[in-house]
Amino acid sequence: MNIKTLGLSAVFVVTAGAVSAAECIAPANPGGGWDFTCRQIGKILYDIGQVDSPVQVTNMAGGGGGLAYSTVVNERNDDPDLIVAASQATATRLAQNAFGGATADQVRFVGAIGADPGVIVVAADSPYNNLDDLMNAVKAGEDISFAGGSAAGGFDHLKVLMLAKEAGIDDVRAIKYIGVDGGADAITQTIGGFTTGMTGDISEIVGFIETGEVKAIAILTDERVDSFPDIPTAQEQGYDVTAVNWRGLYVPKGISDERFQEWADKLQAVADSDEWKAAMEANGLAPFTRVGDDFQNWVDGVIADTEELSREIGVIQ
Amino acid sequence: MLRTDRIFGVVVILAALAYIASAFQIRTSFLSDPMGSKSFPILLGVIAILCGAIMVLKPDDEVEWPSAGAFLKIAFATVTMIGYAYSLKPLGFLLPTAVAAGILSYLIAGRALFAVLAGLGLSAGLFLVFKYALGLGLVAFPKGLF
Amino acid sequence: MDILSNLALGFSIALSPWTLMLAVIGCFLGTIIGALPGLGPSNGVAILIPLTFSLGLDATSALVLLTSVYYGAMYGGRISSILLNIPGDEPALMTTLDGYPMAKAGRAGDALVISGVASFVGAFLATIGLMLLAPLLSRVAYQFGPAEYFALYMLAFCTLGGLASQNQAKAAFAAALGLAIATIGLDNQTGMPRFTFGNLHLMDGVDFLVPLVGLFAVSEVLIYIENQGKSSSLGVKLEKVTIPFRDIGASFGTMIRASFTGFVAGVLPGAGASLGSFLAYMTEKSFAGKNGGFGTGVPRGIAAPEAGNNAAAGGALVPMLTLGVPGSGTTAVLLALLMTLNITPGPTLFTDRPEVVWGLIAALLIANVVLLIMNVPMVKLFVHILSVPPGLLLPGVMMVSFVGIFSLTGSYFDLLLMTGFGVMGYLFRKIGVPTVPIILGILLGGHMEDALRRAMILSDGDVTYLWSSPIAIGLWAAAIIGFIAPMFLRPILKRPDRVID
Repeated sequence: MNIKTLGLSAVFVVTAGAVSAAECIAPANPGGGWDFTCRQIGKILYDIGQVDSPVQVTNMAGGGGGLAYSTVVNERNDDPDLIVAASQATATRLAQNAFGGATADQVRFVGAIGADPGVIVVAADSPYNNLDDLMNAVKAGEDISFAGGSAAGGFDHLKVLMLAKEAGIDDVRAIKYIGVDGGADAITQTIGGFTTGMTGDISEIVGFIETGEVKAIAILTDERVDSFPDIPTAQEQGYDVTAVNWRGLYVPKGISDERFQEWADKLQAVADSDEWKAAMEANGLAPFTRVGDDFQNWVDGVIADTEELSREIGVIQ
Repeated sequence: MLRTDRIFGVVVILAALAYIASAFQIRTSFLSDPMGSKSFPILLGVIAILCGAIMVLKPDDEVEWPSAGAFLKIAFATVTMIGYAYSLKPLGFLLPTAVAAGILSYLIAGRALFAVLAGLGLSAGLFLVFKYALGLGLVAFPKGLF
Repeated sequence: MDILSNLALGFSIALSPWTLMLAVIGCFLGTIIGALPGLGPSNGVAILIPLTFSLGLDATSALVLLTSVYYGAMYGGRISSILLNIPGDEPALMTTLDGYPMAKAGRAGDALVISGVASFVGAFLATIGLMLLAPLLSRVAYQFGPAEYFALYMLAFCTLGGLASQNQAKAAFAAALGLAIATIGLDNQTGMPRFTFGNLHLMDGVDFLVPLVGLFAVSEVLIYIENQGKSSSLGVKLEKVTIPFRDIGASFGTMIRASFTGFVAGVLPGAGASLGSFLAYMTEKSFAGKNGGFGTGVPRGIAAPEAGNNAAAGGALVPMLTLGVPGSGTTAVLLALLMTLNITPGPTLFTDRPEVVWGLIAALLIANVVLLIMNVPMVKLFVHILSVPPGLLLPGVMMVSFVGIFSLTGSYFDLLLMTGFGVMGYLFRKIGVPTVPIILGILLGGHMEDALRRAMILSDGDVTYLWSSPIAIGLWAAAIIGFIAPMFLRPILKRPDRVID
């Protein structure tokens, strides 16, 4: 509750005659992934000389990103100096029509420069060592519960539901799910033994894996990731599920194609910088670079897939 | 005998009923948990109704309400604040602040010249503090004036 | 002595003329920010994060500056509580209960000095506690599941019964109202909007600063306009400021106990400093008994919440640093700062980045000492705030409140909401509905409902799950005692102390 009150950095950004400094909107309060995206990308853009003055970060929390989205669409649609942090959560919510009727084609997705692979984690002393153990337990009617950072039906919950579907479990309620205040909270509940496991992103569990308090039983990528070679992918275990939380940006729809391309190039420059590589390393992100029209097409595909899946599972009607 | 508490109690009960009624309108996803989105608000509404009922049955001593003149002043101050809320964005910081602070100062202290000076001083002084000491991006004047 | 060598490492990083200067600047800015209604510690730190980058500060300097602001704001919050009966931020709420009556009785200077010393003791002990216990205390969070959290919030509300006005029904209504306001916005479990009436501004709920400033600052101005001169709420007499050694000595035990209570409350992620100051005040109040005079302006009534909230602020750093779980709004902002500096708090932080942790701890100790030194002589300056004519001061407070709230979202909507809460606060104060439970309801409501619903999901709707662990049972027992005891005590106490809100 408190967390959402910190938007003072949002200091009404209407600048009084300042020369067009770039602005990055983080559609959430300080401390989360979107805030991280804006602050890191903003800092690096300035450090590597892609922008002339420091990028101003504006926190605009509201409606799970919906407030920022509608602000951009309705009020800032032709602002060439505006970038907005986005992630898989943006795509999921657009797919599930959670932005009050706003659609994905009202902005342009300019690029992603990192991804946070999804993981399924259990406590170190858990009897379940792989996905089969877990899913068989569900089928046997055992009490299996997960904690995750998203609301029910959100991205973290979807990861579990997708795995269950692969295992042939059709009842979406067979696995209990509680949405808590972020990944760290979810993992605390898991270590404390209040839930069987945690579903989230790998960046959220880096520290906990190193201390050996939890074990990751599956990573939801096509191949194992370099920084955690011991974590098996879901695919190896026979579950065809991939889910990565990409980190990237969108820009207003109304800007020129040239400006769009400029932002794409700037983002590419950030992706190539050593500074960004260090930031990814420190935060458990995996490299994942897609910019420009290529990215826009990819996002459109992701949104279509998510929408279909959500409908199939029954999260949306 | 009609007392403030009784009226207030009835208002509380009506408001709580309206709250409960709108709680029933909450859209629920079918993934809902055992408690759902409605139970907690309904529980709160019931508690509020009980409290309202107690206020009706056992009212406290009568409240000492201000004179009509004072009420008028309070209403005027409220209207000033509402006007200030609406004008801050379109008109910039300096002008609405000077006017609103001046009116409030007059309502509080009742000295006209002092109120004008207080309005101007506060408007300029706070602008400098916010803009330069705290670094807030305030807009001084309406867009397009200069 | 690991701790000593670690501490030496910390000081070697954090102690230099440059960082000391930053600490002084930070403390000064923080005190002012904290004292201004609507601008709390979280806002203070949030405003200054961009500043640290434009100044090009390195990680340690940025940490020193911002922790100084953080602690400064915690100190500053008490100033307007005591002098104006307007809490500068939410943890300073409880300080109004005794601070303002004491100032009204002509002892504003004493109240400020006592609260300053209490703040120091609370913050100092909490920093020591953080140092000694952080690695151990991080385990406590693992013992708290949904059922335990729900019991904890029940405890907070049940003890509220003892705090509330003479009329229990009005107090209970106020709490229910606060909880109901907290239900506005997206439902955390289903992600569906509730009570938003299609208004995007309400999607994220009502920011507690809006009702806080409305119910306190705006209604204060309205009350003042009504009274205009007679029974002036600014009728605080000025006197020579001396250090009230006797009072400080007499309330020393209170400070120590309140620090302990506050620290424990701060360690539990959740309401953080507000719960800390609240529990500290209530414990001391019941400890003092009927002769304690709590609520009438006694030194211990100031010492308890101030020591409690500053200790809680320190305690909140424990889950933030060790688990990456922010226990309060301000720690969430500090978390954001650390992440921008590429430091990811978590269980391994203490072993991986000792220089950060111990540099931070040293910075906290430095800020604390600076604040104590700065605050006692500066009391005179703060008391002078009172000699500003009300016709200037109150409009000033209003304008600062408006700008503070406006800066949250940049929308007039919150300003209208705040004005509405101001009128409501005025009416409630006339009718005798206490406003403190409303704020606590808003602060705790979301957590409380979430905890209950999570518990119900995990237990398939089995209510007994709520008291299925020893910790939960203990908290429930304390809650029930806290709720029932005042009912039996009331006839003995005759008229319980009324909350002056």
